[in-house]
Amino acid sequence: MIRYTLTRLALLLLGLLVASVLIFLTLRVLPGDVAQLIGGVDSSPAQLAAIRRQLGLDQPLWAQYVDWIGGVLHGDLGNSLLTGTSVAQELAQKAQVTVPLGIIALTIAVLFSVPLGVVSAMRRGRRSGTFLTFGAQTLAAVPVVWAGMMFVVVFAVWLGWLPAQGFPRSGWADPWAALRSLILPALTIGIVEGAMLMRFVRSATLQAVGQDYVRTAAAKGLTRNAALIRHGLPEVGLSVITVLGLQVAGIIVGAVVIEQLFSLPGIGRMLVADVSARDLPKVQGELLALTAFVLIVGFVVDLVHRLLDPRQREAA
Amino acid sequence: MLRRTALAATALLASAALLLTACTGGGSTSASGTGTPNPNASAVIRLVLEPGNLDIRQTAGSALDQILIDNIYQGLVARTPKQDIVPALASAWTVSSDGLTYAFTLREGVKFHDGQDLTPQDVVWSLTTRKNTPAFSDSARLANVTSIKAEGQTITLTLSQPDSSLLWNLTGRAGLIFKEGDKVDYKTKENGTGPFTLKEWVQGDHVTFNRNEAYWGEKAKVKEVVFDYIPDNQAALNAALAGEVDVVTGFDANLKKQIEANGDFTLELGKSTDKGTLAMNQSAGSPLADKRVRQAIRQAIDHKAIVKALASGQTMYGPIPDLDPGYEDLSSVAPFDPAAAKKLLAQADVKNLTLTLKIPNFYGTTIPQILVSNLNDVGITLKVDSIDFSTWLNDVFINHDYQLSFVLHTEAHDFENWANPKYYFTYDNPQVQELYKQSLAATDPATAADLLKQAAKIVSEDAAADWLYNGASVVAVGRGIGGMPITNINERLNVTALTKSDG
Repeated sequence: MIRYTLTRLALLLLGLLVASVLIFLTLRVLPGDVAQLIGGVDSSPAQLAAIRRQLGLDQPLWAQYVDWIGGVLHGDLGNSLLTGTSVAQELAQKAQVTVPLGIIALTIAVLFSVPLGVVSAMRRGRRSGTFLTFGAQTLAAVPVVWAGMMFVVVFAVWLGWLPAQGFPRSGWADPWAALRSLILPALTIGIVEGAMLMRFVRSATLQAVGQDYVRTAAAKGLTRNAALIRHGLPEVGLSVITVLGLQVAGIIVGAVVIEQLFSLPGIGRMLVADVSARDLPKVQGELLALTAFVLIVGFVVDLVHRLLDPRQREAA
Repeated sequence: MLRRTALAATALLASAALLLTACTGGGSTSASGTGTPNPNASAVIRLVLEPGNLDIRQTAGSALDQILIDNIYQGLVARTPKQDIVPALASAWTVSSDGLTYAFTLREGVKFHDGQDLTPQDVVWSLTTRKNTPAFSDSARLANVTSIKAEGQTITLTLSQPDSSLLWNLTGRAGLIFKEGDKVDYKTKENGTGPFTLKEWVQGDHVTFNRNEAYWGEKAKVKEVVFDYIPDNQAALNAALAGEVDVVTGFDANLKKQIEANGDFTLELGKSTDKGTLAMNQSAGSPLADKRVRQAIRQAIDHKAIVKALASGQTMYGPIPDLDPGYEDLSSVAPFDPAAAKKLLAQADVKNLTLTLKIPNFYGTTIPQILVSNLNDVGITLKVDSIDFSTWLNDVFINHDYQLSFVLHTEAHDFENWANPKYYFTYDNPQVQELYKQSLAATDPATAADLLKQAAKIVSEDAAADWLYNGASVVAVGRGIGGMPITNINERLNVTALTKSDG
């Protein structure tokens, strides 16, 4: 287990290093730079050169990379070129929106997908099962943006139950107001992600139904459903944990879209704005932090999977 | 001389146009709201473009001018929505008959937001620093100023040659007054003299101003103004219908019915200096170097259809909008006439022409669709290259690597770009440049305007570009809101006179 953990950790670090190089280089391919945006459309070449010098953009690429990664190793993700604020600080501030959003969305996704996925598998061939499967296929195919707009129309505009957009200007000082503003966006991401998860749970359940040990349990007198729930579901649970690791990346992508739609001041909206502004040090800090987060979740999922799955435990 | 042209975009902007208003000037603000104004009210205004930072000395973008000038920072003089020049930190001024000496009387008792007094030396320092720091926006606008001196409360500017645009320039960034030697972090904080102070800026969300209770002039009518940045019009509509904002600016006039549906909002249209400019690269080697081809494109475009599609604004056929000096109706220069356009193309021996339009992606698809269809009707294939604004700046603005480009130019009094052959318009006519120079040197405003008018006519006759429309400021004003500026608010949004009642 220790050896396994260390190998995984080494892979994680290698992944981060490769990601940092990729992030850094791909961002440099973007045309235009922040100096032009600061200087505006009347700036002379000399003025632009002065701004670039002031921002350190005149340094060779490798020097900029070394400078950045050196800071990262010391826990400094860098500073915004536009406002001078630290990326870590900005991330922490915007995380107050995005992290709760992600957690609620994930919770919603799991809460509705796991039971419905199992039920639709157990009712396979029956009308209710077909209906559930069809529903999940449809929801999974729905663009997040469209789902979000529908929710807004129904719950915010028609019924007036929840805010249509935005986040309380006082943040979490009023927890209920803050929570209310996250419900629709979280529901949007949660339903669409959950629909995908549900299809996965369904097929994992079906697979479990076909397993020898479930059949054996049934043969020993348990009903088919009882056999499945007692002996099949732990296996389904393991698969779900693995997929959840991947869902986290999906939820982050969903947040980028949904934060635009709902005008939520979170990490996703900040990222889009920073790319437009070519605030590259900020963008690369944000992307690296997000990448690290996804990789770490994957790492943890691997470990948990290993710990929970008796077969893998023994193999180790 | 390079000057600034604020593109309604330097952060990111939607296609709709807009405008502004100050407390003076009347007629350019919304009708007064119902009920008794509540002096402790907080008014929420939806804006489209968020500034990248708040350093108005250095960072370009009309999003900064829009909220910061008049509300937070002030100059010796200010401009009204009707483009008149009025006193601000100077209570009065005189201009010598030769146009070389400007004497301003500085108000007494003015304090900066941190409590320090405004001194004549602060004015001298601000203007001198601006003039001598090329990295500051608009420093070139003070190029003709040779000396800036204070004697008592009198500030005297001496010029090397008359400059009919100087007072106007002083109403903009070039004239803003800061505290000498201030250590403020201008990127995120402020220290101005205006009727509002900055309460907070939560990036990517909102900027909040508080009323400056120690303001030297008439105090603001609301306690707090929140500028809520909502880029998407649909989200803004939802916010309005859910009662989360009091005013929606930069709106889409096509959504008039939806926003007025429950009776809480009234859509108002104000004039603006927004010019939907179709630039044509006419440098040597370009198919557009031939004036006949450019004229053909102008006549192929159905400008009235564009205005109709936007449900706001008006047609314009020359470089100067009717809010600016030098305007005249030039519609006869390029009337919509596809047959004439085809004939011109035949004369120019142009067949199977394919052109590419570079357009920043926040302008939407309405304009490109109309252009594709109109040009197709005269045998020109138009490809649309929708790019982000940074890419546009790089390709079109800096490198002039384009054939056709569309951008909304918002700034008032920006004829200078047609007299600058190095500008991305690539238009080079010495006669226009000479007329513009004479206009600047004129000491009488009427003469200056007349010279601009002559130059503008030549620019239009040369088909130096096409002006697809003169945008309007589309503002949905909530019930209970009064004194909301509606003219040219893309440039300036002075909210001092804004009122809000509880009713």
